[in-house]
Amino acid sequence: MTKPKSDLLQGTLDLLILKTLALEPMHGWGITQRIQQISSGALVVNQGSLYPALLRLEQRGWIDSEWGVSENNRQAKYYKLTRSGRKQLAEETENWRRLSTAIEQILQAS
Amino acid sequence: MLRKLFHRLRTRLRGRKIEGELDRELQFHLEMETVENVRRGMSEEEARRVALLSFGGVERTKEAYRDIARFRRLEELWQDARYGARMLLKTPGFTAAAALTLALGVGANTAVFSVVYATLLKPLPYPEAERIYTVEIGIPERGLSFAGRIQDYLEWRKADTAFSAVAALQTGGWNLTGNGEPERVGGARVSVNFFEFLGVPTALGRGFAPEEETPGADKVIVISDALWRRRYGADPNLVGRTVELNGQNHLVVGIASPSLLVPTGTQLHSTLGFAPRIDIWKPLAPTQSELEGENFNTGLLLRLKANESAEHGRQQLEAFYYDYGRKAAPEMKVTLATRLIPIREIYSGKFRLRLLLVFAASEILLLIACVTLANMLLARIAGRSGEFAIRTALGAGRIRLLTQVLTESAMLAVAGGFVGTAVAYSTAGMLAAYDPTAEKLLGGSPLKLPVLLFAMLIALLTSMVFGAVPAWRASRANAAQALKEGSVSVSGGRTARFQFSLVSVQIALGTALLASAGLLLHSFVRLSRFDRGYEVERTLALDLNLSGRSYSTTEQRVEFYRQLTENIRGLPGVEAVGAVSDLPAMGVSGMQTIFYDTDTDFMSVVMQRPGAGQRSASPGYFAASLTPLKAGRFFTEHDQTPVAVISESLAKRLWPNDPLTSVIGRAIREGDVTEPLVSIVGVVGDVRLGSVERELLPQLYRPHRQRDSSRMNVVVRTSGEPGALAASLRSEVRKLAPNLPIGTMRSMKEIVSASIAQRRFEMLLTLAFAVIALLLGVVGVYGVVSYSVANRTRDIALRMALGATPRDIARWVLAHGLRPVFIGAVVGLLGAVAIASSLRSLLFAVEPTDPLALVAVALILLCASLLACYLPARRAAGLNPADLLRN
Repeated sequence: MTKPKSDLLQGTLDLLILKTLALEPMHGWGITQRIQQISSGALVVNQGSLYPALLRLEQRGWIDSEWGVSENNRQAKYYKLTRSGRKQLAEETENWRRLSTAIEQILQAS
Repeated sequence: MLRKLFHRLRTRLRGRKIEGELDRELQFHLEMETVENVRRGMSEEEARRVALLSFGGVERTKEAYRDIARFRRLEELWQDARYGARMLLKTPGFTAAAALTLALGVGANTAVFSVVYATLLKPLPYPEAERIYTVEIGIPERGLSFAGRIQDYLEWRKADTAFSAVAALQTGGWNLTGNGEPERVGGARVSVNFFEFLGVPTALGRGFAPEEETPGADKVIVISDALWRRRYGADPNLVGRTVELNGQNHLVVGIASPSLLVPTGTQLHSTLGFAPRIDIWKPLAPTQSELEGENFNTGLLLRLKANESAEHGRQQLEAFYYDYGRKAAPEMKVTLATRLIPIREIYSGKFRLRLLLVFAASEILLLIACVTLANMLLARIAGRSGEFAIRTALGAGRIRLLTQVLTESAMLAVAGGFVGTAVAYSTAGMLAAYDPTAEKLLGGSPLKLPVLLFAMLIALLTSMVFGAVPAWRASRANAAQALKEGSVSVSGGRTARFQFSLVSVQIALGTALLASAGLLLHSFVRLSRFDRGYEVERTLALDLNLSGRSYSTTEQRVEFYRQLTENIRGLPGVEAVGAVSDLPAMGVSGMQTIFYDTDTDFMSVVMQRPGAGQRSASPGYFAASLTPLKAGRFFTEHDQTPVAVISESLAKRLWPNDPLTSVIGRAIREGDVTEPLVSIVGVVGDVRLGSVERELLPQLYRPHRQRDSSRMNVVVRTSGEPGALAASLRSEVRKLAPNLPIGTMRSMKEIVSASIAQRRFEMLLTLAFAVIALLLGVVGVYGVVSYSVANRTRDIALRMALGATPRDIARWVLAHGLRPVFIGAVVGLLGAVAIASSLRSLLFAVEPTDPLALVAVALILLCASLLACYLPARRAAGLNPADLLRN
């Protein structure tokens, strides 16, 4: 399994998915679109890593899935954030901020 | 964690389905991509192609997905479970025995826990119950304690304190007459805020209004759900109607909630009036004389403010009663100590220790079941060492073997747990009879979710405990050695030694349990044979309470009881009859300090004078109850001057050095130095109160005519079976007073038996546990010894070949089997003595080192173990060495 094109850091995809689902419950395709839109196309999520990631998150109890009907009237599996997922998101966001600040500082120093 | 496991399990179980779901999900993704491409202006076909291209390998995604979905461990678990089930089914005898052992342990535990949960753990049915307290006031130096006063309630509700609300309760009873049989019901006068205070609104109608606490406006009642259903057929129109209480009309304003749990008087404080259950509530509207009196007859309930500590509240109360003490009796210099008691404790406090004892006994039983099972499994695994060796040789890891054995024991645990829960289900109801409060607290089905969770947890924990040791052993199996030796006896000395030490543990636990049960049993026998100082056999007691206009004067009341006892005396089969205000077994409702005739200053002597329980008695009472006369005479119908009959212990306290006969004719005063002199005409034997366990309480009897009581117990001694007279006694009462309900009519034996029912129950329960423990212990010894004989046949044969006689062999086996029993028994007996010393309050007239109980236990244990060793020993002695060695 190769890393996605945008070379997301390990764990970053999880964070992005959680963040996206924090806004509203969403199906897999919607998640990729949303991430792409918000990042103005800078981040492209490959389905090959998306679906395993979704399953992993679900197994950890951070998200829940449910079959529903999509905007174009098709059966689609919707994912939504659970309570512990929300906690996880807060935690990971915090971690990410710390990490990026640290990296930023290092980059500026040189 | 659980959630994760559950999800994996689900994933696993739906393996095929989830694959399909992923297909559908990916399909959807692809379609959306296509639609999006079309929207960007591509043709349908092109859009699809581009979408597929950008999508990447579908199969690869699926593979990655499967990697995560597949939980390898789970697959192994499934395999283990199937394998374990096969192994268990192959030996149904073993499986049944093991599951049954476990079921006994789990069942006993769960049943007892259901009661423990209901009484000690379950939230009480009040909002924020943990902030409700009752208060107890005491003079520690004199070992006295009281409930509150009605005035305290009135002052406390006005004061700004750590408590947000205060409620008051006085228990009593009323005669309920009109429509239907007259009936005596337990009731309580409560402060008008009572139902709001508890936070349990009435189910129908309303509670009390503030204006109803003035005398005259208080003829309103709330009745209990139980009484409403029983007597009024749950008629919703009862609210708004009037019923007759003590001959006066009362308006029913509400029906209490069925789940309402209220403390009975004695639960709040032992000196409060006793009402076994409360069916009627009436507003507490203190009369002028009540407000002027000094009666500690009111149970106070206080609700602590959210941000206050109980200790702060207690200090405020203590300061309040300090001031009160200084004002009421400045010379006495006594400090009133106050204690805040959480409401839960008033429900559970009395039998908390006993319940915990029974619970501990059930825990020990469970532990024994564990050890028994561990031993059984150990033998089984030793027998399967060949199999384990092969599996190890084929590459099974140690962990793998460990989990496999553990899975097997977990399966046993589940089976045992289920059977055990069923056992618990059928016995928990019986346990509920342990205490009426417990019954109410249990409310319907005793097996609530927490209890079932407890059972499951116990079963699982047990499987870990009894499975761990054998599993560990199995996982250490040395493949090479085991295969070399063949699958005969890899167990060798180490496993055997280990098994024998387990037997020691088992016997030790069993002995401790058995010895505790023996001590309780001996206590109980002592208790039931105890000389109470009054007749128990062939005696019947009728509880009557006169009320209404026709009995408003002392004359009328005394005359009624005189007439009634005379009529009853004329009945065939009646040997003697009399009346007394408080039955000896039921405690006493009043205490007075007794003064010498020479005492003049109340304050200077009150602390040195004895107190005595007050009873009113008719002349015939002593003969009817067979209270022995020690000196002087009983009352007669002709006593005109104030006279008293005192108990021997009171005479001894007043005049320690004088013979009893010299006491006759001396004069005393009751309650105060200003009270009239009372002349002692007789000294009678002491009676044991209540459950006989309390210290002797000195008694002072006055003639009914001289100390009036509307409530009397008519005591009838019969020549035959007392129950046979019930109907004619009832009709005698009816003839004289058609509207007078008979509170209770019980034989003295029943009353006494009821007063020790709790003890009997916990004794029987502990005994049952102990017997099961003994059985398990004996089976354990038998199993291990015969297993060891089977394993050592070659050894035995060799010894025989070298000249040992069968007798030597039998002796050798016996010694071998009995050694762990001895060790266990000694440890167990020491343990039992230690346990009993810490539970001394549960014993009665029996020391923790009671030789009878301990020797009996040791003997029983020895005989049982001898039997358990004898059979394998005989088998060993009967072996033919030639046959064995040839094989």
